[in-house]
Amino acid sequence: MKILINNMSNYFKAALLLSTITLASCEKRLDIAPTASIADNLALNTEGDVLVTLIGAYDGAQSAAAYGGDIMVLNDLIGNSTNINFTGTFAGLSDAYQTQMVSDNGFARDTWAACYNTINRCNNVLTGLAKVTSSTAKRNSVEGEALMLRASMYFELVRLYAKFVGDGDIATNPGVPLVLTPTGNVTSADYPARATVKAVYDQIIADLTKAESLLPNSNGNYVNKWGAAAQLSRVHLMLKDYAAARDAANRVITGSGKILAANFGSNWFTFINNAGGTPGEYLFSLKVTAQDGTNSQNTYFGRNVGIAGTAGRSDCKIRLSHINAYETGDFRKGYFTLSGGNYYTNKHLDRFGDVCIIRLAEMFLTRAEANQRLGTSIGATPLADVNRIRNRVGLPSLATVTLADITKERSFELAFEGHTLIEAKRLQTSVGTLAWNDAKLILPIPRRETDVNKNLVQNAGY
Amino acid sequence: MRKKLLVGLWALFCVVVAHAQTTVSGKVTDAANGAPLGGVTVKAKGTAVSALTGADGAYSIKVTSSVKTLVFSYVGYSDIEAPVRGTSVDVTLNSSVSNLSEVIVTGFGGAQSKRDVTGNIARVKGKDIEYMPTPSVDAALQGKAAGVFVNSQSGKLGQAVTVRVRGNSSISANSQPLYVLDGIPMTSNSQSSYGGATNPLVDLNPNDIESIEVLKDASAGAIFGSRAANGVVLITTKKGRAGKTQVTFNYQTGAAEATKRLKMLNSEEYATLILEGAKYRDDLDGTPLNDPDSWTTYVKDGVMDYYSYGNWSKDPKKTYDWQDAVFQKAPYRQADLQIRGGSDKTKFFSSFQHLEQTGTMIGNELTRTTGRLNIDQKVNDWLDMGVSLSLSRTFNRRLPDDNAFSNPLQAIALMPMTPFTDPNTGLPAGTPPGDVNIPLYYNPILTVNYAKYTQDVYRTFGNAYLKAYLAKGLTFQTEFGMDYLSQNEEGYFQTQTVRNQTRATAGLGSNRGAFVTNYNTQSYFNYSTVIKKHNISATLGTQYQQSQAKYNFTEGTAFPSNSYQKIASAATISSGSSSQTDFRFLSYFLRTNYTFDDKYIVAASARIDQSSRFGKNARSGFFPAISAGWIMTNEKFLQDNKIFSFLKLRASYGIVGNAEIGNFPQLGLFSGDAGYAGAAGQRPSQLRNDDLKWETTKQVDIGIDFGILNNRITGEIDYYVKKTDGLLLNVNIPATTGFNSQVRNVGKLENKGFEFVLNTQNLIGAFKWNTSFNIARNIGKVTDIQGQIIEGGVSSMNRVQEGYAVGVFYTPQYAGVDPANGNALFYLNTKNADGSLNKGTTSNYALAQRIVAGDPNPDYILGITNNFSYKGFDASIFFNGVLGNENNIYGMGRYSSASMLYEDNNTADQLRRWQKPGDITDVPQVRLYRVNGSQASSRYIVDGSYIRLRTVSLGYTFNAKQLSKFKIERLRLYVSAQNLLTFTNYTYWDPEVNADSFDSNIAKGNDFYTSPQPRTILFGVNVGF
Repeated sequence: MKILINNMSNYFKAALLLSTITLASCEKRLDIAPTASIADNLALNTEGDVLVTLIGAYDGAQSAAAYGGDIMVLNDLIGNSTNINFTGTFAGLSDAYQTQMVSDNGFARDTWAACYNTINRCNNVLTGLAKVTSSTAKRNSVEGEALMLRASMYFELVRLYAKFVGDGDIATNPGVPLVLTPTGNVTSADYPARATVKAVYDQIIADLTKAESLLPNSNGNYVNKWGAAAQLSRVHLMLKDYAAARDAANRVITGSGKILAANFGSNWFTFINNAGGTPGEYLFSLKVTAQDGTNSQNTYFGRNVGIAGTAGRSDCKIRLSHINAYETGDFRKGYFTLSGGNYYTNKHLDRFGDVCIIRLAEMFLTRAEANQRLGTSIGATPLADVNRIRNRVGLPSLATVTLADITKERSFELAFEGHTLIEAKRLQTSVGTLAWNDAKLILPIPRRETDVNKNLVQNAGY
Repeated sequence: MRKKLLVGLWALFCVVVAHAQTTVSGKVTDAANGAPLGGVTVKAKGTAVSALTGADGAYSIKVTSSVKTLVFSYVGYSDIEAPVRGTSVDVTLNSSVSNLSEVIVTGFGGAQSKRDVTGNIARVKGKDIEYMPTPSVDAALQGKAAGVFVNSQSGKLGQAVTVRVRGNSSISANSQPLYVLDGIPMTSNSQSSYGGATNPLVDLNPNDIESIEVLKDASAGAIFGSRAANGVVLITTKKGRAGKTQVTFNYQTGAAEATKRLKMLNSEEYATLILEGAKYRDDLDGTPLNDPDSWTTYVKDGVMDYYSYGNWSKDPKKTYDWQDAVFQKAPYRQADLQIRGGSDKTKFFSSFQHLEQTGTMIGNELTRTTGRLNIDQKVNDWLDMGVSLSLSRTFNRRLPDDNAFSNPLQAIALMPMTPFTDPNTGLPAGTPPGDVNIPLYYNPILTVNYAKYTQDVYRTFGNAYLKAYLAKGLTFQTEFGMDYLSQNEEGYFQTQTVRNQTRATAGLGSNRGAFVTNYNTQSYFNYSTVIKKHNISATLGTQYQQSQAKYNFTEGTAFPSNSYQKIASAATISSGSSSQTDFRFLSYFLRTNYTFDDKYIVAASARIDQSSRFGKNARSGFFPAISAGWIMTNEKFLQDNKIFSFLKLRASYGIVGNAEIGNFPQLGLFSGDAGYAGAAGQRPSQLRNDDLKWETTKQVDIGIDFGILNNRITGEIDYYVKKTDGLLLNVNIPATTGFNSQVRNVGKLENKGFEFVLNTQNLIGAFKWNTSFNIARNIGKVTDIQGQIIEGGVSSMNRVQEGYAVGVFYTPQYAGVDPANGNALFYLNTKNADGSLNKGTTSNYALAQRIVAGDPNPDYILGITNNFSYKGFDASIFFNGVLGNENNIYGMGRYSSASMLYEDNNTADQLRRWQKPGDITDVPQVRLYRVNGSQASSRYIVDGSYIRLRTVSLGYTFNAKQLSKFKIERLRLYVSAQNLLTFTNYTYWDPEVNADSFDSNIAKGNDFYTSPQPRTILFGVNVGF
């Protein structure tokens, strides 16, 4: 018995020793790091880190719910039910089309989140600017791009989610929360209230003005000075600051070196006709490639019409009454495809088409409208600018021009490019049976947000 | 009986015997087939003297003249007492029905007789799930273990299965139990990247399983520490047995069909409804019906004629039921070969299986080939070693996920006037060169015909052990195990599928690899001793597990033709990636059991877990448990009672954790997946939390085990309370931060319930009838989520709501149809001043407040098995039931039971729609493209309860004498059916459903064109040599 116990304790010791040795070396093995992601304290330490974060900001802006196209699709569906027959089954869009949105509309929720996600990426870039030391030009460009993207997101948010300029007092109307620093740890400061519409616009103008001054004239696939100036022109137009809108548009027309494409149709079918090259008329657009990017205008407006590269859900059928409204001889009248008994706009048939946010034609129309309203002819006369647009699509020149002529031209030129709702609000014209300032034409603050952040005030009607 | 046996054991230490000795010998055989049984314990009653039978069933034992009776006991068989008459005693043993004599596996070498167990462990014998036509072991558990809820996602083959042990005890972390196969924590999470989650347990041949133990309470589970909160499923594979080598061959074949078809509108009914809706719109707009821009014109020309290739106006009655095109009769074939045998030194079990199963939906196939070899070797008198190795290949031709136009069952949305075949081309509707925009939606048959997505899984389970007998009662075992999962997924979409796969303009090919290597090593001492009336055992050990998953992916477009389907031929490599993730656990554990006088039992266990998943401030977790039992029938006051042959009270309390919180959830992260226009980019992707740790569950269990009438009736009653805190929540934060959520340990929930198990031998003798019944009630309740809004499922209708079970359906309450105008009505359900709900109705959906309108978690789950045998005949009837749960049919209902809101075909019940003032109905007026009642509401939350004749089988076994001249020992012919009958009020296909596109902890009970379970009928033959 004694021998047994002795043996036992020896075995026991040996085995325990064995496992202890094995396990002591194991404990260190618990410190492992992820491989597909990196820890936040390693992410923003060099110029290279800041530059890739800026790319990430473009990636954010490009998400389907933001400038991937949902922002434009929502504008057209809410504002254009008389010209579009929406037969899609996405409830969020269907409700938008019927102006029957509820506070948990999925598109309202996702667009809000995508815009703020991009804003946070921009804020990370802006915080890391000091790391960009290779050249002042590089740093200026990085700062300008981040400011331009951030301002664009705020501009879309404040137009979709708040009362429009002219509906009450922008100095007191709630806009959207202004977040200008990157999110680290979540604290009570991360539960912001809505800033006023005016405060948001002030920030947008400050950012865009600075961006325009910092950005280079050309910048490859990324935003340049003229994109920022064009966006600034739009901002001023919304605020009815026609002189500033006109001047910004004029700076783009004269400074960018861009000209109207001779063929209206060459502005689309980026991939099908243009091997992925960005159409020359685009001032601010996001690239879509086979690897990357979404064009949700294509998703909802597009359709496979038998041409390789065309695709889409065929959800937005264009009413014949819209097509009949174009003048005879207007190239744009024929810029629709009849397929399966319904018409589809040719603008969004290309699956990999770049998503266009601003193109040059709009600047001519903005300058014309502002000059007309102010009785000026900075850059050109309103008549000359409008005729330039008309002549391009095969229409004869007008002899005289009225404000109504200009806005009508604008509505045809920019049809289905995501302007309808905003144009109705800007020009204070009705949307279907609803007045321009009807509460149903404003997106709800997403219910998810009002649930989680009690400082947010919901819009009327939700 | 066993008590006396133990008394005998003590006698070994206490009594010195000095009587005249004689030798008794004989043979022990199996009553069922006359086969010799090796390893049977033969004991002289009233003494400590015992012997074992050899491989040939023979034994010999020296007993004193005072011994009058021998006791024969063998695992899985009823004990028998045989009187000693002369020197030869032959006995036959019957396989046991009373489970009190079963040995329960408790993990880390632990094994206890059921009668001594103080925790709650459900045991399912491999025999009970043998040859069931369910490819995975978890699905086979359905209805077999009390308190274990099993719900398959769908009828798709190899698809994920939800298993909940005693309710759902988590919100965001994985709630599936930990599966441990022969000591190795298995890789059990899906590696699928297409068509919803798959089930990695499919790679295990269920017929290799000797037993499954489900550790349900904390005292049983605590030795698995931070991974036991969802229960632990211990799977033990078959081992060799000393004795004659047994060869068993089984072949079964048959066919399956979907359990149900849905009644849809025919073409005439469809036309009536859609024209009614178009007229409503035209009247509203003041458009004449025959105006070219009218909805009526659009519906006639642009919808019904267009989508019928112009046939509708010619033959308006012609109807195509698209279910005919997508359901099929599905053949099933399975062959199994098992060889089992060994000597006293070497024992082996080996098996081979080949299974070919076809889905009841077109385009779905699964084949599996497995092989296993388990060897146990006695090296010398103090050392054992063993190896087990299983290799398998599972091939699965997958179907798209439920929420895809290419999901075959979405074909029911297509118009009944659309023919299956394009009359112009003779090809399936929508195939180029025909019009690709017909049918209404993409024709899913094109994906079946012109695309395929296959998953090949090569799986290796291996385990090697050394076991040293260090001293009397003391063993040391060290094990090294591995679970390798190599998976290849290959997809190719031909150009014909371009309407669905928009990128397949010139073919789209993809190839994905997943390699999960999972190592486990554990070493432990087991000690047991009996000192007079004290029975002590203990386990002490350590475990280390590391798992690494590597993934890669390549995608190509622009193929020369549809004949080239490998990426080597792709002109454009359109996408590619690789990634990796890891986790590791290091643990120490201790378990002790103490029994006094075979009456009082106390057990305690504890585990320390450290893991790479926990935050730096919470690296190490401690998980203790304690339990006690009292075998009352061994007390004097009950010893002579006539009712209870066995009665035990037991209670346990312990703390366990759930560490299935994903890898690296605690770190603040940037991800490098934010490229733009060909340039690489990064983005902030996760917020940091240094305090993050496991979820903690404290569980109390009180139970009674009883046996009545000499254990002809046995049973268990349990009551438990499981409280979980530190729930990991993806705490919603304002999206203005750029993030939607942060993972934090907040939140509490609880599950309480009871379980009742009853096993009876109703008839014994020539005609045998046994019944096993189990029923469980679980009440889950989320008690604190700190105001988080946590939603999921179809239209975010599943919700985590304080005071309710996880994932209740939260939606406005439908109030039917206004008889005056056909408007859908909803209850306001706003709060009145007195706190009650305002039951006024409104047609303005936005004003209707949401309420809890249903619960996908069942109130009761039950199973009842009746086994009969008479002479060579055997029959088994097994029902399982899931009661008191609701399902959400809004996924389909919003399109297909929606008063023809869209152009989708509708279910036949929509004919009840409101038509004129005064109509009383629950289906609102048809208003084309004008929402009227098809919003998310309780209208689409329906009863999901069911009772199902899960399996029924009838067999005949030829007796050994009849067969001996054919050199066959055993021959059984049988017919079996699965899911033959389902009793339910469910309105869509099958109430056992969890749409794969939505399935998560909180999103249960959703149906989204989800394929029903198969009804399978099989014929089989089982031959033993």
